[in-house]
Amino acid sequence: MLRGWNIVATCLVLAACTPAKPVIDEQMMRIDGDMPADLSGSWERDYSRGDDVNQVLRDIYYYLSRTSADRAYTTRPGPVQPSSRDMQSISALARLAELITRPQVLTISQNDREITVDRKDDFSLLCAFYDRVTKGTESAYGTEICGWDGDQLVSHLVLPDGLQVTHRFTVSADRQQLRVVTTVSSNTARVPVTLSRFYRKFERLPPDFNCIETLSMKRVCSTGEIEF
Amino acid sequence: MRFRTRFLLWVVAGALLPYAAIADSRDVTALNVSISVFDPGVPDDRSLHRDLQIFPRIRDVEAKFLPFVLRETLVATGEWGAVRVVTEPDDAAEVAISGSIVHSDGERLELRVRAVDATGRPWFERNFAARLADEGPRPGTADAGSPYQPLYDGIARALQEARQQLDGRELERITEISLLRYGAELAPSAFGQYLVEREQGEYALRRLPARSDPMLDRIERIRLTEYVITDTVDAKFRELHEEIASTYALWREYRRKSIEYDRQNARRAEDTRSDAPRGSYDAIRNLYDNYKWDRVTAQERDRLAIAFDNEVGPVVEAMEARVAELESWVDEKYAEWHRLLEALFDVESELNKPGP
Repeated sequence: MLRGWNIVATCLVLAACTPAKPVIDEQMMRIDGDMPADLSGSWERDYSRGDDVNQVLRDIYYYLSRTSADRAYTTRPGPVQPSSRDMQSISALARLAELITRPQVLTISQNDREITVDRKDDFSLLCAFYDRVTKGTESAYGTEICGWDGDQLVSHLVLPDGLQVTHRFTVSADRQQLRVVTTVSSNTARVPVTLSRFYRKFERLPPDFNCIETLSMKRVCSTGEIEF
Repeated sequence: MRFRTRFLLWVVAGALLPYAAIADSRDVTALNVSISVFDPGVPDDRSLHRDLQIFPRIRDVEAKFLPFVLRETLVATGEWGAVRVVTEPDDAAEVAISGSIVHSDGERLELRVRAVDATGRPWFERNFAARLADEGPRPGTADAGSPYQPLYDGIARALQEARQQLDGRELERITEISLLRYGAELAPSAFGQYLVEREQGEYALRRLPARSDPMLDRIERIRLTEYVITDTVDAKFRELHEEIASTYALWREYRRKSIEYDRQNARRAEDTRSDAPRGSYDAIRNLYDNYKWDRVTAQERDRLAIAFDNEVGPVVEAMEARVAELESWVDEKYAEWHRLLEALFDVESELNKPGP
């Protein structure tokens, strides 16, 4: 029995040492023709579906207690309680994942070069293609890259301390539903936290006014064409 | 159409007037200056624009807007003849100024400026930079050029210093070569013989045409005609400047604020580098927020660029359309003048040949 756990532990260590496949590889950063999927539209959160963060935490706790490397060094039968440090790190990731996935509405605009996901109270995710290749956004605070994994749009943010946030956007065949899978991981936590959110498409009412942003007059609206 | 008819009448009437030597009556130190629209300095690689915070549409506007501020500065010195903003480099100009925008972010402006005279002699080519005064521009006012006035004053001083290196004879030669280069472009058969082009694009006089040369008279009249159009184009740049100056000042003010926000973000990131244990919620939330605020600032910058473009875009497009109309008229006439002058030269050369 002990020998069996040793093998599992060795496998885990080996898996940890194997270079991880990048979330977005070069092939995903290139498109050959049109965008693989059309995500554009206004999307409203479907609260009847999606992950409950407490349940996700419970699942992780269960997983860790079953697979904890600590088990390799104990002969006591049954699950082993994960360390409180592990659970604190994971709980922190879960809180951040919940915060990031909180927006009730997503507004996605898309053309043949660019996709923008506007989220309330957060920055917009931008995926722009230049000559059919995406380019990451790099700053002193982090790096953001994006690409297409089949018909899934993937946005990957790498922050200091190994903190990473990945969103995968998948639209249903009838283009009425959108699934967003958000994974938050960190060097300080043994497993990532993944939350799925579902959105339903809704049509915004056509505006009564044509509005544009200006510098000197702020937002200018008119029932007809706007002229200066 | 009415303008065109009036203009043709003016040209025909002008041709009937007796010849007057322009060079005889002018102060040769007051050279005419042509400032061409600046190179916006936008890299071809579009993927760099966001990183470099370059908004191509706004740079295009600046490339048309900033030369006019330089023009106003030069006119105010009273040191020069006619100072015009032109859309294309004018090789035959007595003094031609070209420039490119190296950096413009609302807080600092840097231009690379080149000045060359009609003989092809370079006066200078160097960078001029200025940082906004602490009080910054005054949004909503029309003096949008003034915040960087030291930069324009620097260019004006450099021009005067370069001119001081030349004596009266050399300055006179510039005006002569300028006219002959213009003539040689329009009627190469008649004027090509007076100039010799040396290495590195410098021109020297081989000889001067006779004062009574009717071709010289025609060339001067045509050049005056073209100047009338150039002045109309120049007036369009003035209108553009007047119309967008206050919006541009606002844009610059917003850009300045945006730079301040960047600094605040950096300070915030530094100040909130918490003592919270690594991996704790506070620690990772901080990391996420630092990135978030940086992106929000950048996205606000993009939004303002669009707002600027929404506001000045129609004005610029209308101006460009009018200038294109004027220039296409000149191009059309230029081809016609070229054909007529060459034909006249042939006829006159034939008549002047000694008889058998």
